[in-house]
Amino acid sequence: MVGKKNKKKEEEIKVEDPKTLKKAAKSGLRTMRRTRKHHPLREEGRIIKYGTKGFARNFWLSSAATVVMSITLIILFVTVVASVILTNTADMMRDKIDITIYFKPTTTREILDQMTETISADSNTKSVVTSDSAEEYEKFLTENAGSDEIINVLDDEMKALMISKMQATMRIKVYNVDNLDSIKGIVENDETFVEYLDDEKQPTYDVNQVEIATITSWARIARTGGIILAAVFLVISILIIFSTIRMAIFSRREEIYMMKLVGADKRFIRGPFLVEAELCGVLAGIVAASVSYFGFMWLAPRLSGYGINVDEIVGLLQSNKLIIMFLIFIGIGIIIGRVSSRLAVSRYLHKA
Amino acid sequence: MILLDSVTKTYPGDTKPALDSVSLHIEPNEFVFLVGKSGAGKSTLMKMITKEEMPDSGKIIIGGIDLDYVKKRHIPGYRRRLGVVFQDFKLLPRRTVYENVAFALEIAGMSGKEIRKTVPKVLELVDLSDQAKKFPDQLSGGQRQRVGIARSVARQPKILIADEPTANLDFLTTGEIIRLLKKINDFGTTILVTTHNENIVNTLQKRVVTMKDGKIVNDQKNGGIYKLDETPQPKLVRNMMQAPGHALKQRPRRVIQ
Repeated sequence: MVGKKNKKKEEEIKVEDPKTLKKAAKSGLRTMRRTRKHHPLREEGRIIKYGTKGFARNFWLSSAATVVMSITLIILFVTVVASVILTNTADMMRDKIDITIYFKPTTTREILDQMTETISADSNTKSVVTSDSAEEYEKFLTENAGSDEIINVLDDEMKALMISKMQATMRIKVYNVDNLDSIKGIVENDETFVEYLDDEKQPTYDVNQVEIATITSWARIARTGGIILAAVFLVISILIIFSTIRMAIFSRREEIYMMKLVGADKRFIRGPFLVEAELCGVLAGIVAASVSYFGFMWLAPRLSGYGINVDEIVGLLQSNKLIIMFLIFIGIGIIIGRVSSRLAVSRYLHKA
Repeated sequence: MILLDSVTKTYPGDTKPALDSVSLHIEPNEFVFLVGKSGAGKSTLMKMITKEEMPDSGKIIIGGIDLDYVKKRHIPGYRRRLGVVFQDFKLLPRRTVYENVAFALEIAGMSGKEIRKTVPKVLELVDLSDQAKKFPDQLSGGQRQRVGIARSVARQPKILIADEPTANLDFLTTGEIIRLLKKINDFGTTILVTTHNENIVNTLQKRVVTMKDGKIVNDQKNGGIYKLDETPQPKLVRNMMQAPGHALKQRPRRVIQ
C-alpha cells in the first residue's frame, strides 16, 4: 500500500514544481524512517555469532591479543601478591618484636603485677607478660626438657641457686615500634621500675632499635611501593592491551568502512568486535588466573622456607574465594578488552 | 527516481569544483551509463548519491527521499534502500559468500528464516550457488563482483548504482557482469553505472550521460555511444590493439565525446 502511494508520488515529481517535489521528498523520508522493526534479541544473537566466528577466523590475531592480555594480567597479579606478601612478612617480623625488661631476682609476683598495671595503662602497650624468678626457672626446665645432661645436674641446691640468680622478666608487645618513648619514660622514671630494674641486663629496646628501624622501613616500602607498582602495572597493562586490540582492529578498518557503506548500523558493526575483545578477555582471565594459581601454589612452600609470610594469600586461594579471584581476572579482562575495542572501533566508525 | 538539481561541490583546498551545477533526472527502471575521464566528477556524483559526501549547494532526491532531510543517524537506513556495487568489490574478507550476501539482509533486520530463503535465490541469480561456502580470497575477480552484485540486490532495492563495476575485470567477465546488471534492470531496478569501457556502452545502447570537468556535457537518450580517444597510441600498444581479438583492444585509452 505504502509502496503504491510512493510510486504514484514519484511519478508526480516535476523538476519545475518545487512544492510538489518537497512534499514527495518528505513523504519518501517518512517511508524510509518506517523501517522494519528490529528485534534486539535477534540482533544480539547475530552480533555474538559473528563475534565468535570472527574470533575463530582471526585465530592468530585473537591468540596474540589473548596472550598479551594474559601476561599483563599475570604481571598485575604478581605485583599485587608481592606487595601483600612483603607487607605481611614485614608485619609478621614487627609482631615478633617485643621489649624485654629485666628485674632483680628478688622481684616478687605482686610487684610484677603492679608494674604490669602501670605499663598496661600506656596507649602503645599491646600486651604484657611477666615471669618472676621461679617461673623463669620453670620455663628453663621446659625449654631444656630433652637435655638429660642439664636436668640431671639440677638438684635442690642448684635450683635454689638458679632461682636466686635468674632475673624476673617483663615482655611488652607494642602497637607502634617506631615510638617507644612513652614506655621508655615509664621504665626510666617510675619509682618501682627504677627500684627493681636489674643492674646487669639492660632493657632490649635499645638493642633492637636498628632491626626495628629496618623492618619498619621495609614495611613502609612494601605498602607504598606495592600500591604504586600495582597502579603503574595496571596502566601499562591497559596500554599494552589497548595497543594490541587497536592493531588488530587497524588491520580490519576496511571491513568497518565496507559495513558502513552497505548500510550497517554502528551497533551492528561495533558489536562483533566487542564480542571478540570480550572473548579475548575471558580467555586471558582464565589463563592468567590458572597460571597465577598453580604457579603460586607451587612457589608458596619454597617462599615459606625463607621465612616469607605467604599464609594470607595461600588461605585466600584455598578458600572459596578462589572463584572470586577467577571472576575478578575475567572481569578485568572483559572490561579492558571491551573499552579498548570500543575506542579503537569508534576511531574508524566515524570516518566513513 | 534519481534527481539532482544544480548540485555543486568543491573539495576543501581545490579551486575548481568537482561538480559544477549538475542537474540530472533518471526515470524509474532506466539503465544509465555515466561516463567521463578520471577527475570528471563521476565518483563525486556517486558519493553524493550514497551520502558519503554532501553537496555545497543544490538538491538531491533519491527514490523520493530528499537527502537534505536525511540526518547522520538515518544514513545507514537510507543506504540500506540502495544497492551499491563497488569497483574493488568491498566484500567482507573474513565472511563466506553466503555470509556476505546474508549480511545485507541481517542489517535490515530480516529474520533467519527469510534470509535462509532469500540468499540461495540471489546466489542462483548470480550463478554462485556452488561457491556459497567459499571466502572472497578463494574466488576470481568476476566471481567476487558477482557476490558484490548479489549483496546489493538481495534487499531488492529500487535503485542500484555501480561505480566502475568492470574496471578490474577482463573482457569476458565484463560481459557477464553487464549481462547480469541488464537482467536486474529487466526486473524493474533503476541502474546507474559509471564506466570507462566503450564496448559496454556501445553494445547495450542505453542512455549515456557524459561528464567533463564536473559538468554534464552530453546526455544521449537510448543508444548513446562514446568513441575512443583519437590521441595516437604508442606503436607497440597500437599493434597489439590491431591484433584480432586481443584483450588490449577492449581497454585502450579513450576520451568521452
